[in-house]
Amino acid sequence: MFETEAPLAGRRQVARDTWVLAFAAPEIGHAALAGQFVNIGWRPGPLLRRPFSVYGGGDNVEILLKAVGAGTDQLLDLRAGDRVSLLGPLGRGFEIVAGPVLLVSGGLGVAPMPLAARQAKLLGCGVHWAHGARTAADLCVEWHGDELTQATDDGSVGLPGSVLNAVTESEESAQILACGPNVMLRAVAERWPDAQVALETYMGCGTGVCLGCAVPLCSGGYDRACTEGPVYRAGDVDWPSLPGHLHYAPAR
Amino acid sequence: MDPPLDLSVELGNLRLRAPLLAASGTFGYGTEVPLLERSALGGMVSKGIFLKPRLGNPPPRIVETPSGMLNAIGLQGPGVEALIRDYLPLWADWEFPVLVNLNGVSVEEYGELAARLDGLPGVGGFEVNISCPNVREGGMFFGNDPRAAALVTAAVRERTRLPVWVKLTPMVTDIRVIAQAVEAAGADALCAVNTFLGMSMDLRTGRPRLAFGWGGLSGPAIRPMALHLAHQTARSVSIPVIGIGGIVTASDALEYLLAGCAAVQVGTATFVEPRAIAKVNEGIVGHLRAHGLSRLADLPRHLPRD
Repeated sequence: MFETEAPLAGRRQVARDTWVLAFAAPEIGHAALAGQFVNIGWRPGPLLRRPFSVYGGGDNVEILLKAVGAGTDQLLDLRAGDRVSLLGPLGRGFEIVAGPVLLVSGGLGVAPMPLAARQAKLLGCGVHWAHGARTAADLCVEWHGDELTQATDDGSVGLPGSVLNAVTESEESAQILACGPNVMLRAVAERWPDAQVALETYMGCGTGVCLGCAVPLCSGGYDRACTEGPVYRAGDVDWPSLPGHLHYAPAR
Repeated sequence: MDPPLDLSVELGNLRLRAPLLAASGTFGYGTEVPLLERSALGGMVSKGIFLKPRLGNPPPRIVETPSGMLNAIGLQGPGVEALIRDYLPLWADWEFPVLVNLNGVSVEEYGELAARLDGLPGVGGFEVNISCPNVREGGMFFGNDPRAAALVTAAVRERTRLPVWVKLTPMVTDIRVIAQAVEAAGADALCAVNTFLGMSMDLRTGRPRLAFGWGGLSGPAIRPMALHLAHQTARSVSIPVIGIGGIVTASDALEYLLAGCAAVQVGTATFVEPRAIAKVNEGIVGHLRAHGLSRLADLPRHLPRD
């Protein structure tokens, strides 16, 4: 775990209102595993840090964000060289082993997938990425792996409806790694309880101290998304007790 | 090379090497995070502990508000036996005292907890948390009622010769009444103040944003109110007062010290910045040097007596 004042090194748009920001933070970027996250603080900004999945690693830490409110507006207003405080890598990421890999992402749930695809390819895995969003404009233009299947809620591109429909029965023996709104992950859990899902919660410290990011478990009790998670076996989470959508952003 | 400064403070029967403590619930048990900086700590107050393990509240447990944080964690914890087994052996080797934050649903439970922990290596003292619901007295808060506050304090006092600090709630009409009752019951120091009750509504659902409904507000949002209450408390008693509430920077901490607090606790700031306490410490050193002071004890205080 590192804390560093990292300068903005680059920015590119990958979907409607959705951007990848790159911060120069090699210690974190080289250590980060797919599904891990960084907790980012900036001034002026909100009091608490905000958690972001690591989208890309290496010399830069890349994060994915959508312009939804005051905080993300501030991040998008950063100029090259402006610094934020990065704390990470945090949490427990995906466990990927040799064998076929199926990535299932909905909307901003693409965030951990590029790293997951890269890690899987290093292990020699075949990677099929199924990605869904509301409309064609909301689909992420970047993807990695061997095969891409897309789905949109409005049917404007790819299969109509849920991205879960893009998965064929023959693929269900693959290791499934999923990320998206908690309502989507709940559907993943019902269909594939052994899938690994990267879920989201409101978060305070990100380091295991505040106990704010409680994840209700089927076995009873709670653990911490920031420490034991954010990746879980889908069937282990008590989904009805977890908020389905998060709304961090105050009104603009 | 500047000569070293004497930052030590005397809190009744306890001497701390520095005036900064980690507030309960904001430093865990002190071992979770490698980046948490212990070098500048005068002491640490543990996460609140009950006799038995507690699950805590359902999520969402935290909500950010302007300059503040609402929490309703629900005192999730492993219970006193796990605390003794897992953490006391570590704390016993630390170069500063760890005070255990005590919680109970009855006066007797507070006394039992103190008795169980008294004398064990690693326990440097107690911070009695009296802002927890008292089910036996109809959901009142111990900290709201001078008689109940004194009973809890006395129950702990009778079971230990270690330092007994009492953490006061701000949710009272006159904090001086509670402070004086707790002092008379044998407290060695007072911690002022715990979180303010607050809530936040979700416009989409029409429901509270915290699943529990409401929670404790901390962070810079409460600092002027907390500072006033800490100052009022310090004016009304002759035991030391440890100021708490919204301290992020050295100047925040110095405000509390100048207003009559003997020491301070840093809480929510640690969530944002794991090295917050070390940075506050550096700033206090800088302030003392800039004012030609070699001892924190020589810092002039604004503390007229009531």
